[in-house]
Amino acid sequence: MGTTTVSLPLPSSRRRLGWRGERIQRLLAHDRTLGYLFLLPAMLVILALVAYPFASAIVMTFQAKTAGAPGRFIGLENYRELLSSEQFLRTVVNTVVYTAVGVGVKFLLGLGMALVLNQERFCNNLFRSFLLIPWAIPTVMSALNWRWIFDDASGLINNVLVRLNLIDETISWLSNPHLAMFSVIVVVVWQGTPFFTMSFLAGLQAIPKELYEAAEIDGASVLQQFSYITLPRLRPIFITAVMLSAILTSAGIQFVLILTNGGPSDRTMIFPVLAYNLALGGAQRLGMGATVSLFFFPALVVFIVFLTRRMLREKGE
Amino acid sequence: MALKTTAQRRALRGLGNGALLLMLLWTAIPFYWMIVTSLKHDKEIYGYEATLIPQRPTLDNYATVFRETPYLLFLRNSVAVAVGSTIVSLVIACLGAYAIARLSFPGRALLARGLVFTYLVPTSLLFIPMFAMMSAFRLTDSLHGLIIAYLGFDVPFCTWLLMGYFKSVPVELEEAARVDGCNRISALVRVVLPMSLPALVVVTFFSFTHAWNEFLYAHVFTSTNNARTVTTGLANFMSQDVFFWGPLMASTIMSALPPVLMFLLFQRWVVKGLTLGGVKG
Repeated sequence: MGTTTVSLPLPSSRRRLGWRGERIQRLLAHDRTLGYLFLLPAMLVILALVAYPFASAIVMTFQAKTAGAPGRFIGLENYRELLSSEQFLRTVVNTVVYTAVGVGVKFLLGLGMALVLNQERFCNNLFRSFLLIPWAIPTVMSALNWRWIFDDASGLINNVLVRLNLIDETISWLSNPHLAMFSVIVVVVWQGTPFFTMSFLAGLQAIPKELYEAAEIDGASVLQQFSYITLPRLRPIFITAVMLSAILTSAGIQFVLILTNGGPSDRTMIFPVLAYNLALGGAQRLGMGATVSLFFFPALVVFIVFLTRRMLREKGE
Repeated sequence: MALKTTAQRRALRGLGNGALLLMLLWTAIPFYWMIVTSLKHDKEIYGYEATLIPQRPTLDNYATVFRETPYLLFLRNSVAVAVGSTIVSLVIACLGAYAIARLSFPGRALLARGLVFTYLVPTSLLFIPMFAMMSAFRLTDSLHGLIIAYLGFDVPFCTWLLMGYFKSVPVELEEAARVDGCNRISALVRVVLPMSLPALVVVTFFSFTHAWNEFLYAHVFTSTNNARTVTTGLANFMSQDVFFWGPLMASTIMSALPPVLMFLLFQRWVVKGLTLGGVKG
């Protein structure tokens, strides 16, 4: 590549460079040198802010460590303590339920919303923009808003239910052990459905109209068109969206932290919140916190590896 | 047959409109409650005189936020962190994406894979060692500490997104520029970047809103108001026992406006970028 430029008259800016400048120029003309040079900052960021913390998290799981003090090696003690703790077992179950139900409902609602928005109607773009707003507002803000909606004394839901004479006593949506998980998932669904809607809608719009026209001529019913054209065409998007959402839902800390902080009596405790509370709430047991996070990594890594492959294939890498 | 599908379609249209109405309500009601709460006097917010529609709307809550809380400071911090991390990660990502998209060197595919992989590792797996690290380097409670921490997410994501766009810029254009004496860097700046403007908008949107919305790192790495961003600042208001929902909702609305306005402005491009990879499930 460099040879073509050398045979042509050099621009004045380059002619002015001395012998040393020319050597650097020639070095930079090599793809290899330039490639590593350009990628160096990105690699430094990844090494310092992802790879190193990750490696030190693994080390921490074998340590009794508090903030600011060096860790003391204790072998597998953290793992042993966690596995025998009822709180941790409950957290595992909760995380699975929270993620599976949350992602499942978001998926179904998102698909429904996408199908509805894919129909032609007056002002459809306006409706679409509006339905996507919950995705755009900061998660903390929707969590705060919903905490107020669920409020025991003056929240919207209790307010309306009392007015309609449907209840005599207000309902503690977030502190009733049987309702708390349900309430938190409602918020997760409210915020997260638009992500699915957007993904699926883009997928629907990419399906060629001719396919449906041909099916129509062959006498396929609407349901048949849906199950033989729409669903198979959306499948790749289904998989990507579900996996991405599973990672982000299970690892998302904001909703639970703000709405219930894992309570009442660990009914809504999920792994990032437990890790947070162990590491930074009171006792500052960083080693235990890191162990909780690491326990969930194998489950997440399956999704992450799978998604990495998919996302790179789409880019032709 | 065709008649039957027409009838089916008409039924579906009715069903669709009904479903749309329900979804609009489901989406709108929380916003309604947020907005009316911010416009009510305390008397209408709590207790037996609580109302569903404000009887005497007021902007007092907004005034309270600015007069009695450090909200302006939080706002300033959020802007500084969001702008700072966006600029730094854009520069780093442009260089990195260009290298992966255009230059051939050993290990290129592996590095591309590493980038996507790290983007998908959630921060809740990293915040504990990150906290230890930030404390060791005395980067807690500081804006530049947060800017650095956010690069760990923004750089891989932006690089990955830009990589695809850069590949779609015709190589011939760049080669022509280089024949005319452009080196790689000026080819990137003068040819590739201007042609990737939509991608740059998307990447700017995502890294800005990511920094604006981020909670976990901001919460864990700050313990005083000096570096609190709006997300942690407001969460902190709530945990301080003083439950003042009027001002809290007022500040929530103001804090949610910038990302929402940006989203509505760049919606078409954002949706495209989101379907490529997406953030926030």
